[in-house]
Amino acid sequence: MNNTFNINRFGLLLRRQWLDFGKIYLLSLIVVFGVLVGFYVTNIPKPSDGLPSMDDGFISLRFRYPIFGMVGFLFISILASSYFTNLGQKPKAIIDLMTPASVFEKFLAGVFYTTILGIGSYLFIFYITDLVFCKYLNNTFSAFPPVHIGKNSAATLVKARLLNSEMNFEQYRGFACVPVMVTSMFLLGSVYFNRFHYIKTAVSVFIACSIIGYVIYLCVSKMGENMVKITDSGNNEQLAFTIIFVSSAVISIFFWVITYVRLKEKEI
Amino acid sequence: MASEKKLVKNLEVIKIQHTLVYYLTNTVDMIKINNLNFGYSKHKPLFKNMSMQLSNGHIYGLLGKNGAGKSSLLKNMAGLVYAQSGTLDVMGFNPAKRQPALLEQICFIPEEFYLPSVKISAYIKANAPFYKNFNHQYFGNLLKEFDIPVSQKLINMSYGQKKKVIIAFGLATQAKLIIMDEPTNGLDIPSKAQFRKIMASAMTDDRCIIISTHQVRDLDNLIDTVIMLDENDVALKASVQEITEKLTFKKVKEVDDSIIYAEPSLSGYNAVMPNYHQEESKLDMELLFNAILAEKIKFKPLFN
Repeated sequence: MNNTFNINRFGLLLRRQWLDFGKIYLLSLIVVFGVLVGFYVTNIPKPSDGLPSMDDGFISLRFRYPIFGMVGFLFISILASSYFTNLGQKPKAIIDLMTPASVFEKFLAGVFYTTILGIGSYLFIFYITDLVFCKYLNNTFSAFPPVHIGKNSAATLVKARLLNSEMNFEQYRGFACVPVMVTSMFLLGSVYFNRFHYIKTAVSVFIACSIIGYVIYLCVSKMGENMVKITDSGNNEQLAFTIIFVSSAVISIFFWVITYVRLKEKEI
Repeated sequence: MASEKKLVKNLEVIKIQHTLVYYLTNTVDMIKINNLNFGYSKHKPLFKNMSMQLSNGHIYGLLGKNGAGKSSLLKNMAGLVYAQSGTLDVMGFNPAKRQPALLEQICFIPEEFYLPSVKISAYIKANAPFYKNFNHQYFGNLLKEFDIPVSQKLINMSYGQKKKVIIAFGLATQAKLIIMDEPTNGLDIPSKAQFRKIMASAMTDDRCIIISTHQVRDLDNLIDTVIMLDENDVALKASVQEITEKLTFKKVKEVDDSIIYAEPSLSGYNAVMPNYHQEESKLDMELLFNAILAEKIKFKPLFN
């Protein structure tokens, strides 16, 4: 018997965890779906509102970006923060820790539910909600007052904005690991703290970020003291996005390693 | 290189299998505790250099005052807490590593437990496959014996009913080490009798059962060895037979010098005294417990 990882045992563990975590996950998903629909219903342009605001030849639906970010952050962080909450309650923790699966498998199940399933299902739910409302807008476009629509046909007016090459998805790849980093932080919080996991993790992250930000500011100020800017070569965006990608990936791995160690050392 | 790694891995697997087979087929010390030091804070130790061996084929009764460390000792054995120093060996494994090969051989029934809001069938479907020897028929029989409504959701059951479900599940896993912390708490009077009957029938030569309790009368005629914890160590570890060979439990009218410990009763005194004449008497666990706590020094030479 392999005491570190066994695919059958891992499958059994995922199924077992679904019994507890599945309800939280499904309920959260329903709430998120409701919130997204609510935001879309209240913000989407209606023919009765008159001329929709246009942005470069497309109907402007900029409300989607902050909604995507904020609702997504709340969903994945709350989900990750509630995964190991059982370990904070003795009666539940004993049953969980005594389940015949390795610590590594228990940790991997946590990563699967919070990172893979959590982020994946949010993207899916958001995409579906967005697609339905964009379809609806495209189909009802004729009801809007006449408007100059530039080179685009009415049928593609909204849908095009979603998957438009002008969005430059390349640059957003730099942020691909940011949600992973968020889930890894809150997953650690759910193992580390016994109560009030979410608040405590959020406060800890806020304090850590403030300290790190202040230290960076001090260092940069010190390094730039008595120096004169002699070139203006512009910002290297690509480099910045690469740094964001690599650093968020490294931080995620770092948090996962600590989570694994904390899980291994967990005592009741 | 790859084949070498595979070979090492296979050897490890074979070693684990052999260790388990050895522990499950021979009368050996299933649990070996050597110089165990444990405490929830460094300044307040619960166990100081505790050493003890527990073998298969026995039902141990773990007794002690509140705070003596009964539950903590059981948690140490199950790998739920970690010792500060010393070694703890359970069936050849270090329980602190929480390896699946050991976990599937341990049935731990805690005093406080949680069961999800599902039906028994869903619970079994999710948890039983982890135990390759899980006996579904035996589980069904135990539920029937405990008179558990199978179709009811676990969350809607009373504490006693839940406890019976968790005991039935634990026994049906066919685990070789059964650890129970206050298993009779919350059970009604008929259920306590059922519990004793079931535990007696669950005892096999390859199993080791450890039951911690305050209610010593609940374990009457069930345990074969008494372990008593006091003052950070094992105050007594002796089989019922050994105790009744060395001590006699009697009702007496007056207390004399031969009596080690006595408690007043309606018709005189309940007394414990050395069994010089090989008299047969029934072990009074409550009396023994109080006697050991009160006269520890007098008993020590008898059981060393």
